[in-house]
Amino acid sequence: MHETALMAGVFDVIEKHTADLTVQRVTKVILVVGEMTNAMPDALEAVFTVFAHGTKVEGAELQIRMIPLTARCTECEWEGSIEQHVFICPHCSSLGLEIKSGRELYVESLEVE
Amino acid sequence: MEIKVNQGILSSNERTALENKKVFDENGLFVINIMGSPGAGKTTVLEKTIDILVNSVKLGVIEGDIYTSKDAQRIEKHGVPVKQINTGGACHLDAGMVSKVLTDFRLSEIELLVIENVGNLVCPVEFNLGEDIKIAVLSITEGDDKPMKYPLIFRESRAVILNKVDLIDFTDVDMNSLRTDIKRINPKIEIFEVSARTGQGINEWSRWLLEKVKDKNVKNAVN
Repeated sequence: MHETALMAGVFDVIEKHTADLTVQRVTKVILVVGEMTNAMPDALEAVFTVFAHGTKVEGAELQIRMIPLTARCTECEWEGSIEQHVFICPHCSSLGLEIKSGRELYVESLEVE
Repeated sequence: MEIKVNQGILSSNERTALENKKVFDENGLFVINIMGSPGAGKTTVLEKTIDILVNSVKLGVIEGDIYTSKDAQRIEKHGVPVKQINTGGACHLDAGMVSKVLTDFRLSEIELLVIENVGNLVCPVEFNLGEDIKIAVLSITEGDDKPMKYPLIFRESRAVILNKVDLIDFTDVDMNSLRTDIKRINPKIEIFEVSARTGQGINEWSRWLLEKVKDKNVKNAVN
């Protein structure tokens, strides 16, 4: 249940980007979460409510944008999605697949008033 | 009003991890982060590894647990400097916790620093500590379905130690399927089959680790 530590990171980012502005309220937080992270959206949402309580983020909508796991083959340039976490190139059977997307964990944007 | 942010939520940990890494590199330290479930045998594997390596390489150990210093007390008996971190509830170590205890070691006198993470197959892998490599310990009694259920730790680790292989006859584990799944997730991972209890496979794993330590020392000397 490290979503608590992840959410502390989310609120650090929110604080940093709203501290020096005349922000009264944060109404929406857009969080980007890759498929191959160990972050569970349900747990993130539950912890978000707890962190937001009594702050200018209270009542804000948390929108989580999931990013699928994709990779690129360093041998044959194949690019595509990775199913069942099998990191073997479906085109040339090379083992040299690099993750292109799916490891994201970042705050994309905030809606503020 | 919309504010564009695009900032990683682990960026503060990543920054501290890079600072740790710089300290490790300056002191010529090779650092491993050992991760695995509670009861996988991380500490026992480490105890056996220390006994083999203690005359070849100068060691230091950081033990991570939620509570108690039981593991540090076990390691201390093997004559290496050890520091216990109690997270007090958190399910993983982070770079800041490690940074705080580094002053307790004479880093210039250590060649291999082993950080044993909190027992957990999920959370520790997201938090870099500044280590050179991650090592996963999975006991075969946990079941051969674990790599596919918890792929990230196997993807991020440089080697996996499959512990408790002496118990194979008492389980329904299919070792071929277990190895195949791990290699699918991470084709470049090294797999060591060991029994920390009987000592089987510990030599092979320790030799591999010693090579990694020496590789880094050689690189430092060249630079």
